[in-house]
Amino acid sequence: MQVVSHIALNVFKESVRDRVLYSLVAFAVLLIGGSYLIGQLTAGQDIKIIKDLGLAAIATFGLLIAVFIGIGLVWKEVERRSIYSLLSKPVRRHEFILGKYAGLALTLLVNVGMMTAAFYLVLVYLNTQTPENIRAVLPAPVADPGMLRAIALILVELLVVTAIALFFSTFSSPFLSVALTMGLWLIGHFNADLRNFEAVVESPVAAYLARGLYYVLPNFAAFNVKTQVVYGLPVPGSYLLTTAVYGAVYIGLLLTAAVVIFARRDFK
Amino acid sequence: MDAIRTEALTKHYRVGFWRSRPYVALEGLTLDVRRGEVFGFLGPNGAGKTTTLKLLMQLIYPTSGRAEILGRPVGDVEVKRRIGYLPENPYFYDYLTAEELLEYFASLFGFQAAERRRRVATLLDEVGIGAERRLQLRKFSKGMLQRVGIAQAILNEPDVVFFDEPMSGLDPLGRREIRQLILRLRDRGCTVFFSSHVLSDAETLCSRVAILAGGRLVASGHLSSLLAFQVQGWELVMTGVSAEALEQVTRAGQVARATPFGVGHYAFELPLTTPPDRVLSELTARGARLVSLMPVRETLEDYFVRQVAEAPRDRGLQVSGTHAGR
Amino acid sequence: MRWPALVLPIVFGAGVVGLQAIYERRGGPLPGTAENLLYVQSPRAIERLALAYDALLADVYWIRAVQYFGSTRLSKDPNKQYDLLYPLLNLTTSLDPRFRLAYLLGSIFLSEPPPGGPGRTDLAIALLEKGRRAEPDVWEYPQSIGFVHYWWRQEYKEAAAWFLRAADTPGAPEWLRPLAATTLAQGGSRASSRVLWQQIANTAEVDWYRNEALKRLRQLDAMDQLDQLRAVVDVYRERFGAAPDSWDDLRRAGYLRGTPLDPVGVPYRLAGGTVSLDPQSPLYPLPTEPLRLR
Repeated sequence: MQVVSHIALNVFKESVRDRVLYSLVAFAVLLIGGSYLIGQLTAGQDIKIIKDLGLAAIATFGLLIAVFIGIGLVWKEVERRSIYSLLSKPVRRHEFILGKYAGLALTLLVNVGMMTAAFYLVLVYLNTQTPENIRAVLPAPVADPGMLRAIALILVELLVVTAIALFFSTFSSPFLSVALTMGLWLIGHFNADLRNFEAVVESPVAAYLARGLYYVLPNFAAFNVKTQVVYGLPVPGSYLLTTAVYGAVYIGLLLTAAVVIFARRDFK
Repeated sequence: MDAIRTEALTKHYRVGFWRSRPYVALEGLTLDVRRGEVFGFLGPNGAGKTTTLKLLMQLIYPTSGRAEILGRPVGDVEVKRRIGYLPENPYFYDYLTAEELLEYFASLFGFQAAERRRRVATLLDEVGIGAERRLQLRKFSKGMLQRVGIAQAILNEPDVVFFDEPMSGLDPLGRREIRQLILRLRDRGCTVFFSSHVLSDAETLCSRVAILAGGRLVASGHLSSLLAFQVQGWELVMTGVSAEALEQVTRAGQVARATPFGVGHYAFELPLTTPPDRVLSELTARGARLVSLMPVRETLEDYFVRQVAEAPRDRGLQVSGTHAGR
Repeated sequence: MRWPALVLPIVFGAGVVGLQAIYERRGGPLPGTAENLLYVQSPRAIERLALAYDALLADVYWIRAVQYFGSTRLSKDPNKQYDLLYPLLNLTTSLDPRFRLAYLLGSIFLSEPPPGGPGRTDLAIALLEKGRRAEPDVWEYPQSIGFVHYWWRQEYKEAAAWFLRAADTPGAPEWLRPLAATTLAQGGSRASSRVLWQQIANTAEVDWYRNEALKRLRQLDAMDQLDQLRAVVDVYRERFGAAPDSWDDLRRAGYLRGTPLDPVGVPYRLAGGTVSLDPQSPLYPLPTEPLRLR
C-alpha cells in the first residue's frame, strides 16, 4: 500500500509540473471568470447562464484533464521506458496501475477543487451585486452550496473516465486510447437513448442489443444533475449515493481489467 | 547459491501484421553467474542481450524456460529488493530533478526520509552529478542520464546489479569512472552482470563472459579458457639492426614481416614455427640490441569476430514442434 | 493474483448491471434532466457554429428530435410538455433546408393532440411552409398542409385550397384534384378521408407513418361497422319496444351470428342501447366527424 501511495504522489508531482495541465486549468478558470461577462450580455437569466457555464466548464476541462493526462502519463511511462527501471524496483505490476490511478485521481481532485473555488468566487461576487428583490425570486440562491452535489457527481464521472483512459492505455496507442475513451464517454451520455431504443426501432435484435448495452456501458447520463441543481430541483441523497456507488463499482471493474491486462503485457 | 541461473530460457516474438511469423529473440539460454563475479554478456547489436536482461527483470515473459536470481524466481518482490537494473539508454520523468527521482525510487524500497536523503546525497556524488541535483531531468544530456541510471540501479546497495550497456553515452573519462565503480561494487561483494558490445571493457573487468549471437549462446566461460591464451607467434623488437643483419633474417624466411620504426629500429613478427631465441641470437651477433620480446595471443576481439561469424544467421523458427507463443 | 483476476471482474460486473437495474427501477434520469435543455435555440447561431458539418449536425438534431418525441410520448409524467420539439425541428431544417422527412414527419409529430403529441397544428403548418419556401416544386408540402387543415383542424375549405395548390405543382399525382373536389363538396366525409389515408398508406416511405395511415383506415372501417350495428339496434328496439341489453339478445333474435368485433379483433361494446368502441381497443378514440355529415 505504501508503494501505491509513493507512486501516486509521484504522478501528482509530475502532472502538476506539466504545462498541459497548467494551460487547461488556467483556461477553465478564465472561462469561469469570463462567464461573468457573458452573463452581462444576455438580458435576465444571467445567474442561470453563469451557473450553466461554470458547471459545464468544470465538467469539460475535467474531462480533458482526465483523458489527456490519464493517457499521457501511462503511455509516456511505457513509451519512454521509464517503466523499465520502475518495475525493477520492489513494485508489483498491479501496484503500478493502482498507484498511477490514485495519483491521477488526486490530480483530478485538486484541479476540480481549484475550478470549483474559482466558480464560487465568481458567484459570491455576483451575490453581492444582485439586489435583494431579485435574489428573493430566484429558484436557488446565487452561491448555492447545493451545486456541490452536481460537482461531486461530475468528479465521480471524471474518475470513471480516468479509469477508462487508464484501461485503454494499458494496451493501445495513445491516439486510439483517446478516441476510444471519448467514444465511450459520448455513448455513455446517450445512454437514455439506448433505453428508449425499442420504441424507435422495429427489429427485436436491435432492441435487445440496445437493452444489453444499456446495462453494460457506463451510464454517464446518471452523473449529470447540472440542470437540477441550477433550477434548485430536488436531488435525493439516495440518488447521489447509488450513483456514486455505481461509479465506484465501475472503476473497480475497469481497474481490475487494466491490472489483468497489464500484468500479462510484454514491454518490448 | 548462484547469483543468476537460467535454464533453456527462450523468447519468441511474432513479427509482421498479416502473416505473423515467429522471430527468435533468444533460444535456449542456459547460464550460471556466481556470486561476487563480474560477468560480461557480450554480443553484437540485436544478439539478444537486452531481451535476456528484460526477461531477468520480468519486463517480458519467457516463451519457455526458467530464470532465477539469488535462488528465487525472477519477478519476486524479495528479489527485486536485492537487485539493481540499468536499462539501455535510460530515460526518466521529464519534470523531476535527479534528486527527486532518486528519492522517489528510494521510497519504493521503503527507506525512511532521513535514510533516503543520506543515500541520495552520497550516490549523486559517487556518480559525479552532485552539482546538477536540482536540475530537471529533461535538461540532462545522454551521459548525465546514464549516470542517473547507474545511481538508481545501486540505490539499495544491491547484491546483484544488471547493467545494460553501461558505457554507452559516456566520454572516455566517464567510462573510466564507471569501470572503477564496477570494481568497487565487486569489492563490496556485489555481483555485476553487464552487457556490452565494447570488448575492451569486458577484457579489463570480467572474470567470466558469455557471448551471444543470433539469439543463441555461442560461448561462455573464463576469459583465459575461452581465448586459450594460445601463443600464435612472437613479436620481437630490436634496435641497432644493420641492413646486413636485416637481410640475413628476412632472407632465411624466419621472419613473417619486418616493420621499421626508425633508423635501425624494427619490429619483427615471427611465426610459431620459428624459435625466437635463434633469431635473437643471430641479430645480437650482428650488433643489434633487444628492446622487447612478446608472445602474440588471440585477443577477445579476434575470438568474438570468429564466434559471431560462425553463428547461424537465420532468426526464423525451425519448424519442428517447438511452440511459439506470446 | 490468480483468484482476484477471476473473481473481481464477476463481482464488479454483477455490481454494474445490478446498480444500473436499480437506476432503471427508480425511473431512469431525475425529472428535469438536461435532455430537456437546448442551449442554442437560434437557427442562425447554430448555422454559424456548424462550420462545414451542417448536414451532419442536421442529422444529429433530427435524431434528437425523434428521440425527444418518442421518449416524451413514453414518459408517464402527467404534465409532460413537448416544448423542445419545434425548436429541434426548426434547427434541423435550418441546417439542412432540404430535409424533406424532417418537415413531413415533424408536422405529424407536432399535430398529434395531447398526450400523444403537443397538438400544435399552427407550428406544423409553419414548419411545412418553411419547407415549401425552400423547395416550392415539391407537391408534398402543400398536400401536407392541406392534410393538417383537413384532419386536425377540420377546415375543409382551406384543405381543399391546399390540395388544389398541390395538384398544380408539376409532377403532382392524379388523385389530388379529385381529392380537392370531394373535400370541398363533402369535407370530412368518410369517402374523402378514405381516399386521403389510402394514398398515404400507398406512398408513405416510413413504416411508422404507413402504420398510422392503416390505423386510420381501420378506424374508418370501424365507424362504418358502428353505423350498421346502430341500425340493427334501432330495428331491435322498434320490434321489441326496448333496447337490447347485450349482443346475446341480438343473436337470439337472429340479427347477429355472434359478438361483433372491431377491425383489430376487440369486441364492440353495447350498453344501455348504445353501441361504442371499447376504450381498450388500439383504434380508440375514433376521430370526430363534422356534425352535418353524421
